[in-house]
Amino acid sequence: MVFGILFLGMNANAQNPQAQNDTAKVLEEVKVTALAKKKIQTEMKMAVSVDEFLASSDNISFIKRGAYAWEPLLNNMSTERSTITIDGMHVFGACTDKMDPITSYVESNNLSTIDIKSGQEGSLHGATVAGSIDLKRKSTPFTPEKKYSGAYQTGFEFNNKQFFNLGNLSYSSDKFVVDGSISFRKAGNYYDGNNNEVTHSQYNKFNTSVGLAYKTSPFSAVRVDAIFDKANNVGFPALPMDLWLSRALITSASYKQLFQHGLIRVWDTKVYYNAVEHYMDDTKRPENLVHMDMPGWSTTYGLVSRANLKRGDYSAEIQLNAYNNLSIAEMRMYPQDRSKRTMFAYSWPWVTTKFTSLAMNNSWDISENSRLNLGGSLGYNYNRSKYVEFNWIFHPGTPQEKSRVLPGLHASYQLTVKQFDFSAGAGYGHRAPSVSEGYGYYIYNSFDRYDYIGNPDLKNEISYEANASAGFKNEKMGIEAKANYFYIQNYIIGRILSLGSPMNYQSVGVKGYTSLNHARIFNIALNANYNILQHLHWKGMLTYARATDDKDGNLPFIRPLSYQTSLHFMYKKFGIQTSLNGDFTQRNFSPEYGEDQTPAYMILNVSANYSFNIKNCKIVLQAGAENLLNEYYSTYADWGNIPRMGRNIFTSLKFSF
Amino acid sequence: MKKAIFFLIPVCLSVMSCTKEKTDYEAEINMVVTEHYEFKEAAAINIDDYHISIEALNGTFYKGYNEIRLKISGANTNENINAPAVTFLPVMTNADGSRASCPHRYNLVYNADDKYFPGYAVFTGESGTNETWELYISFTINNQSHSVKQAITVQEQTNKNLNMTTFTGKDSEQYFIALVAPQKPKVAENELVAGIYKFNEPTSPPSGSFPDPSQFSYSEVSDYTLQLDPRMPEPSMGNHSSINNKDLTQQDDGLYHGVVNYTMTGNWTLNFIMLNQNGKILKGTEVPTDFTPGVEGVKSELYIDILF
Repeated sequence: MVFGILFLGMNANAQNPQAQNDTAKVLEEVKVTALAKKKIQTEMKMAVSVDEFLASSDNISFIKRGAYAWEPLLNNMSTERSTITIDGMHVFGACTDKMDPITSYVESNNLSTIDIKSGQEGSLHGATVAGSIDLKRKSTPFTPEKKYSGAYQTGFEFNNKQFFNLGNLSYSSDKFVVDGSISFRKAGNYYDGNNNEVTHSQYNKFNTSVGLAYKTSPFSAVRVDAIFDKANNVGFPALPMDLWLSRALITSASYKQLFQHGLIRVWDTKVYYNAVEHYMDDTKRPENLVHMDMPGWSTTYGLVSRANLKRGDYSAEIQLNAYNNLSIAEMRMYPQDRSKRTMFAYSWPWVTTKFTSLAMNNSWDISENSRLNLGGSLGYNYNRSKYVEFNWIFHPGTPQEKSRVLPGLHASYQLTVKQFDFSAGAGYGHRAPSVSEGYGYYIYNSFDRYDYIGNPDLKNEISYEANASAGFKNEKMGIEAKANYFYIQNYIIGRILSLGSPMNYQSVGVKGYTSLNHARIFNIALNANYNILQHLHWKGMLTYARATDDKDGNLPFIRPLSYQTSLHFMYKKFGIQTSLNGDFTQRNFSPEYGEDQTPAYMILNVSANYSFNIKNCKIVLQAGAENLLNEYYSTYADWGNIPRMGRNIFTSLKFSF
Repeated sequence: MKKAIFFLIPVCLSVMSCTKEKTDYEAEINMVVTEHYEFKEAAAINIDDYHISIEALNGTFYKGYNEIRLKISGANTNENINAPAVTFLPVMTNADGSRASCPHRYNLVYNADDKYFPGYAVFTGESGTNETWELYISFTINNQSHSVKQAITVQEQTNKNLNMTTFTGKDSEQYFIALVAPQKPKVAENELVAGIYKFNEPTSPPSGSFPDPSQFSYSEVSDYTLQLDPRMPEPSMGNHSSINNKDLTQQDDGLYHGVVNYTMTGNWTLNFIMLNQNGKILKGTEVPTDFTPGVEGVKSELYIDILF
């Protein structure tokens, strides 16, 4: 379906109606067995942030350092273990503290879907362990007639006085398409469930995007895209510093060719360039004795080229990825006497990463109701640290350059028997250490308050994975259980070094990234829905995860047993939703990695909306409350146990035409 | 489309230019520390038919350790001459007329390969109104001895990585420690080289014409150990230290070699404990190893501050 949305536009206006149908049919069949969401909105709330939207998925959880820029965890694994891409483009954050996950550089009104693949199935975009998250941008199809469409959305959230304006406009014609979007969000500090202000939780975000597509022939088109994102004055209550400014420019140019005949049906090639800059600010924190600048830069250019193949019962995707990233992060500390000389070090000493991979996913429809998927990828990862002397302090004589080969394989079998469907799969894959894990230098982690040191000699992390699912579906109800299990060799994690003393003012010691012999991660999710009445729907989700290290100790940031349940009632132009979500007590926490036990919490949300039309304009009014009962809570992944937002009344208004 | 492009261009330009400039790391280190490689003439003396040239790094005598190259040539020829019994003695005169010297190599031996007399002087002070420095040089050629003195200027050493310290050890002897290398440290493992000298108290009163070398005798101490604990003294750095440092021990060149790791640029204190050949502590105290943010680092009673 994901591809359908992207490609159908080009076909809609194909001159030969026969060809049009064919291609559309092909594309519908080149369907990715992915967990993809169609619209960037949740049932509760239509004006969600990208983070809130991701949170509604059952295999995504978040590490939160404040109200902004949450770090998405896929299958309870941190972002180093997943590949996060925007339309297949690799973008890397410029903050050593992971205050800028890629999801913070997009906005909900320039995305169409988010495509999440679990485990090695996600290796199409590059070597991974946890899977892939691909943020798909909006792209309006070509239309036979000139057509304008757009939407404007505004709203106010009372708890943190968030005011937002999101607008997008597109023009389409037979040959030419323009998409544009712009958004502003401004939020103050939020208040927790005890009505206390959580200081340093404000944010300001501006995002704009533009895309131009031109049809070069009935079956080919070129497209250029750009996203510009700017966030400033973003507070991180869980960190000893805030964000002064971060900016990202994400650009690409692509060429797409459709083929009417033959094995290859679609070929799409894109070149891209993106630059991210991220500047911290600790001057607003009087408790800091030392003032420190921590600027970071990340520049990536690359190529992604993919082809969709189809013949009879066989279909495949082939993707070539290549990128070059340069990550730089500096620390400059100012002495009390500012006239004295500053102290300087690199936390990322100009680390270049070059990566190339060729990946393929193949599907055979063995029979009407069964399908076999087989895929693999082979990647080459090269790192170079320009100022390797920083790495030599803890790892004397380590080579300046390091190359790794990263293979990956996966297979799965899907079977549908009447109203039941089953799947089982297995995967094997390597990943290279991230820039921080390999070359980081005194990166302060405020969760466990340790300074982290990278190790260039870390071995590849090797994942062995098994997954299975079973489901039942009829007109009235559906139920599905999914489980996966990862056995990860050389699992990379920070361990306390007896050597060395901390550098950052607030830290208590030094940890070095080391490989555990292995770690095990198990995730299970249960989803169900039931149509109680024609207009009354129920949905529920239960997830559980368990993760242990090689000594059967608990790994950190593993979500405890958690649930989401919602009721949705529609009557004519009215809709009412209510949902309940929460976590049970975190039993398997990890004191060794700085965690304490997080108690259970339960959050109740309600919202109502009314939609009507004025001429061609559709208007939706929505009002609701999150955390209606004003529960005081923090989750297992909130740094510093910073409390989450208390009762939040939100209103929003959307026009679309 | 044109509108869109017009819109894109300023956006691109605004982003391509970074808000904050990246640090030029190499320039950053050069800014504070200039490394001198070249030996240039720092003093020239003509005596009888001979010309003496004394070369030092950057053509300047600095407070602290100075490697010197002494060349003797015929006044009219540029040929460097070997001469036996070349002596070299720096002498400092205080405002009150009292005189002292500093650690130096007194008897210079010709290096035939490089055609000069290698030596060193560890000037303990800078030339000024209260302090003047002179070099006393003598040599013998063709059984004829020549002596000369020459006033020189000793300048302040702005490179703190070549700092020195003077102290009295528990054995009541007067000691000198002078840093020799690295001139320009890096955030890295650096080979740390220092000279350790002591003043040999004269056993008899001065005799003969001035200067009597027995009154100004210094020697390189042998088989001592200089234990090293480098720390950043700034209160904000909380007594930060580094790993993989090695104590300084004497090598064939007479100097003491060890390893210091600097984890970042800035102020560092090299805390020392000096042990004699029998392992007895002559000077220096252990420093606390705790991380104490907000508190200025406690220094050993024997230390040298550096900065890069």
